Formats: sequence, C-alpha cells, structure tokens
Amino acid sequence: MNVKNIMLSKNDFPILNQNAIFKNALDSMGNSRLGIVCLIDEKSKLMGLITDGDVRRKLLSNQKPLSAIMVDYAIKHSIVNPVCCNENDSLESAVRLMGDKEVWDLPVLNETGELVGLLHLHNAVKVLLNI
Amino acid sequence: MKQKIVEVGYGDVKKVKIGGELPLVFVGGPCAIESKEHAMMMADRIGEVCDKVGIEWIYKSCFDKDCRSAPTSFHGCGLDVGLDILSQVRDTYKIPVVSDFSDPAWASATGEVCDLVQVPAYLCRQTSILRAAAKTSRPILLKKGQFMSPWNMKNSVRKLEAHGCNDIILADRGTFLGYNMLVNDMTSFPIMAETGYPVCYDASHSIQLPTSMGNISGGQREFIPYLVRSAVANGINMLFMETHDNPDKALSDANTVVDIKYLENILYQAKVVHQTRLDLLKELGPDNIHPRN
Repeated sequence: MNVKNIMLSKNDFPILNQNAIFKNALDSMGNSRLGIVCLIDEKSKLMGLITDGDVRRKLLSNQKPLSAIMVDYAIKHSIVNPVCCNENDSLESAVRLMGDKEVWDLPVLNETGELVGLLHLHNAVKVLLNI
Repeated sequence: MKQKIVEVGYGDVKKVKIGGELPLVFVGGPCAIESKEHAMMMADRIGEVCDKVGIEWIYKSCFDKDCRSAPTSFHGCGLDVGLDILSQVRDTYKIPVVSDFSDPAWASATGEVCDLVQVPAYLCRQTSILRAAAKTSRPILLKKGQFMSPWNMKNSVRKLEAHGCNDIILADRGTFLGYNMLVNDMTSFPIMAETGYPVCYDASHSIQLPTSMGNISGGQREFIPYLVRSAVANGINMLFMETHDNPDKALSDANTVVDIKYLENILYQAKVVHQTRLDLLKELGPDNIHPRN
C-alpha cells in the first residue's frame, strides 16, 4: 500500500500561506487535533512546518514578549527543512522513516515537490494493524 | 534581510533615497504651516544648513494639527491653503515635501502635492487612515503611536501592504511611560526594521511631555542631541526634527521644536555618527549576537 492511499488530503489538516503570522498558526493548530501546521507558498511548495513540540521548545527558549512572537511571521519560527515522504512511497517505508526520525507526521509531496497530503502515524498504524 | 530603498520625490524635485547603507536623510520644518512667507524662509534657511552639512533633506510642515490639546490652540491653515504653500515650497526649492493628514478625505489631495505622506502617530492603526494613505500611491511615513509596541507596528505595515503600498518608512516618536511622559526605546529601530523597511527617528516629538502643562504639551529640548546621537548609532536611515526660527513664538509644538541656530551642530553630529556606524559595519560586518530564540 502506498502513502497516497491513506494520507490526509489537503482539506483535512492545517495549511497556511507562508505569510501567516505565528498567532494564526497557533489558531490553526488549535482548530485541528493534529498538532501540526504546514506553511506553503503560492505554488503549494512546502516552506516550513510547526508542531506542538516546536511551540513548546519555543516557549522555553524565547526571551521576547509573547505579544512580539505572536505578530512575527510563522515561518520565522518553523522547521524549514522538515522530513517529508513522497505520495508513491510505500506505507511501510514511510512508517519506518517516522520511527527513525521520531516524528508523528510526515508531509507528503508529489513528484514536483508540491504538498499534497499529510501522513499521520495513528492512521498508518491502524492500517498496518488492520484495525 | 536586505532593507528596501524608498525613493521620495516626483516630478522635477530632487529625488531622495532612504534605506540600506545610503547616507542619512533629514526631514525638517515648522510643525505647522504658519504662512507662505514663513514656510519659504524656513525652507531657504534649512536648505542652507543642509547644503553646508552635506545632507539630503525633505521639507516637513502640516496644514492641520488635529491633535492639539486645547480648543483654542492653532489648528492649522487648512488643506487648500496649506497644500498650496507646500506646492510653492517644492516648486521654488525643488525639494520633496511631506505633510500628514488626519481625515481619510484629505489623503488624496495630500498625495497629489506631497512627495511623502505622513500617517500621524495617534492614527497609526486606523484602517481607514492607512487605506487612504496607501491609495495615494506615494511613499508613506508611518509614525509609531506612543501607545504601540514596535512589533505591533508590523500590523499597520501589513495593512498598508494589503492596500498596495510597498514604500514605507517607520518612525519612532517615543513611547508612553505612564501618564504625560515619553521614553525612547532604542530597540524599536532594529525591531521595526525587521519589516524590511527603512526606519526614522523623530527627535523633536520624542522629547515631548504630552499635555504636561495643562492644556498644552511640554518638552525637554535639551535632550535632543543625546537622543539623536543614540538613534543614529542604532541604525536609523532618516532623522526627523521639527525646526523653527523662533521656537517660543511657534504656532505649534513650541516646547519641542528645535531652534534653527542649533540645526547645523546636530545634523553634523548625526552625519558623522551615521558614517561611523557604516564604517564599522564595513570593517566588522553586521552584529551577529544570536538571539536565544
């Protein structure tokens, strides 16, 4: 089975334009149950990614007033080269990659590098265990 | 981030470029337009000083002072008369001019005459004002409200951008510390420069003590040279300082305008400090103390 068979489609996980501010990114993450937001450009190229863990680490290291971070562009506080997989990768190899990198989600790209979905570990495990 | 260069000046006036590693630019003139004769005389005298110091400049004066503390204070000569005088100043001296506007309905006329359109500090987050400013298609001098954090000015910048304006200069004119008191936070310049636009220091309003004298504002002009040196060393691209030939008789902001007899001294220091900073940048490279976050 390939990643594209079980990945979340673009309407089912938070995606924002790269010009979104950090506050919008937190809102977007809060509105979903996934703890992740992807930041893209006008051509759907993945420019950055923020996870719950990134926000937690940011709060611990940050020295700015909270109101100053909120108005920053989200991209400034994102992971700009996140681990990704391809929509045609096998589900098993993608899950193995998640295990190796200790991540819960993998952005899924197509052959041209466009963000087309998100592979969430829970969904992948359910399929692999035939639940 | 590479800083945007903003060019001010249309038609046959001198084009003044602001930003990056370009020389410091001065903005000066009486707070309010008092008369045609006074405006011309001030343009002539300030021009002489700027030529002597070797600094490019923009003439500033306003036609309507909408935030005076008392109903009896001079409110201004009005839109039509004021813009006509500014137009004659730019035609005569071939220098760019700037004025603010306090009502969205005045923006279009202001932009037709002025090379640079100023958004007043008290109105710096008003959407109707920012939209009207952007629609003039002129570069915008956006004053930071005394009640605003420097990072929240990013919201005002994004409003201007949303309405098509991409030529912006951000100015700090002090920040409220409790009641009737302003302080100058020099970190505001690098923070506002994160927008990618040039930054300006308004030295005369920064030393204001708002409404400290009952129904007028006071000010501590003696601190202007100290603050100018600090702001220039902190990387501003433009220095704003209201200037008058007889401050005690000025019709607006008499307690904060700089007497023209001190202008050469202050501008010379500003120019030297600015050049010293650029020389240090060239020699040592940009500051590279990495923030913890």
